[in-house]
Amino acid sequence: MRWLIFSILFLCSVIMTPVHAFEWMPDSLNSLSGKYEQRMYKYHRWWQGLIPSHTVLQYAGSIGFLSAGVGWDYGKRNQWETTVLLGYLPKYNSDKSKLTFTLKQNYTPWSITLKPERLTVEPLTCGLFFNTIFSEEFWVDEPDRYPEGYYGFSTRVRTHIFVGQRLTHHFNGKDKKSKSITAYYELNTCDLYIASLFTNPDYLNLWDILSLSFGIKMQIF
Amino acid sequence: MFAILPWIMAGCDMIEYHPYDARIEGMIDINNRNIARIEENLQGVDTFRFAFITDTQRWYDETEDAVVAINLRPDVDFVLHGGDLTDFGATKELLWQRDILNGLKVPYVCLIGNHDCLGTGEEVFNKVFGDPNFAFTAGNVRFICMNTNALEYDYSEPVPDFHFLDAERKTFPDEADRTLFAMHVKPFDEQFNNNVAEVFEYALRAFPDPICCIYGHGHKLAADDLFGDGMMYYQCSNIKDRKYLLFTIYKEGYEYEVVDF
Repeated sequence: MRWLIFSILFLCSVIMTPVHAFEWMPDSLNSLSGKYEQRMYKYHRWWQGLIPSHTVLQYAGSIGFLSAGVGWDYGKRNQWETTVLLGYLPKYNSDKSKLTFTLKQNYTPWSITLKPERLTVEPLTCGLFFNTIFSEEFWVDEPDRYPEGYYGFSTRVRTHIFVGQRLTHHFNGKDKKSKSITAYYELNTCDLYIASLFTNPDYLNLWDILSLSFGIKMQIF
Repeated sequence: MFAILPWIMAGCDMIEYHPYDARIEGMIDINNRNIARIEENLQGVDTFRFAFITDTQRWYDETEDAVVAINLRPDVDFVLHGGDLTDFGATKELLWQRDILNGLKVPYVCLIGNHDCLGTGEEVFNKVFGDPNFAFTAGNVRFICMNTNALEYDYSEPVPDFHFLDAERKTFPDEADRTLFAMHVKPFDEQFNNNVAEVFEYALRAFPDPICCIYGHGHKLAADDLFGDGMMYYQCSNIKDRKYLLFTIYKEGYEYEVVDF
């Protein structure tokens, strides 16, 4: 529960942080004279790195019905992405609706610019994510009532791997609200299903254990 | 490149909100449906035969083979599943097992196992199969099927449920004069509420003419007089061992054999 409150507050605070608030900063260290200014510049620069550079809205994909998140792009070509998402899972046939939290690591090896130049395609995105579900019915470690190692797995934390593709539209002009918008889909599967696939080559095939998601990524800067 | 997308979208099966999302498509309330068939088929019959399979979790290929093997026998009247259809309690696991077992030509009923209780597993089980405690009449035998996975409930619910047993004993149907008990976990197992093991046995023996108890969970064959009172407890191995128990109930008495497939 503490994690849940922390996640919600964290997400709210980063989503609501006005990016423009940081634009007063000078372009380089050289233009600053005083030691105090230089130190302040480095200080702001460091914290600025923690501002998420994109937001994500995703449908399905084993982390909730609808999930929203923020993330950071890095690497020479921004080929690495780390995203955190909060997902909402309606109750369906269970007793309660639930929230989930996802930590996702994404790698995009190629980016192909199409004509017109405002479109780029990323033919492959891949990576892994960890999902935890907030509900008392689930545990990370088995509760004390069980003999040690009774089940030997966590019902709460799932590890997923995924592949996907993307299409990005880059905005230009002064009135743009964000840098670019990306539509993506991904196919993922999780540890439980992979364990099931290998021991049941006849009954299960890869398509049985794949989960599809669709999402939109807004690149802020 | 994106030509693959519409093709994928056509497979709506691939939309999953969470492995434990408890979204159910297809047949539900299976135990009640099949109980109606069993009771109708075996009404007034004094000799019948049923197969007992159990612990089929994450052994889909073997479960499929069991369905084929049982379908080849015209002398089996119904199938009793001793629980643990799922390994992780995940929603898809239970639906895959249901779909395989729906391939049986004869009606079948499923007990709940401790693995089926994990996560939202119990809620999905209740919807797809029915109450964890249930009873039905086959010929002149009343089958009392119980949830004995006490460790999963941590005393939040009465397991085993003596109110259920009491109610069943008081409303024992006229057409039955003997009782057979089925459960996932036997008394004295670490999963059972062993504080009431003796009381449990006492409650079972209060039923008309108890025949025997059958159970799973231990993944191996066993036949024991657990309480030294003459009531036999038979354990069936998990489906991975490619075995099931075949019980033949006669007007008086019964016999069983272990069938390899």
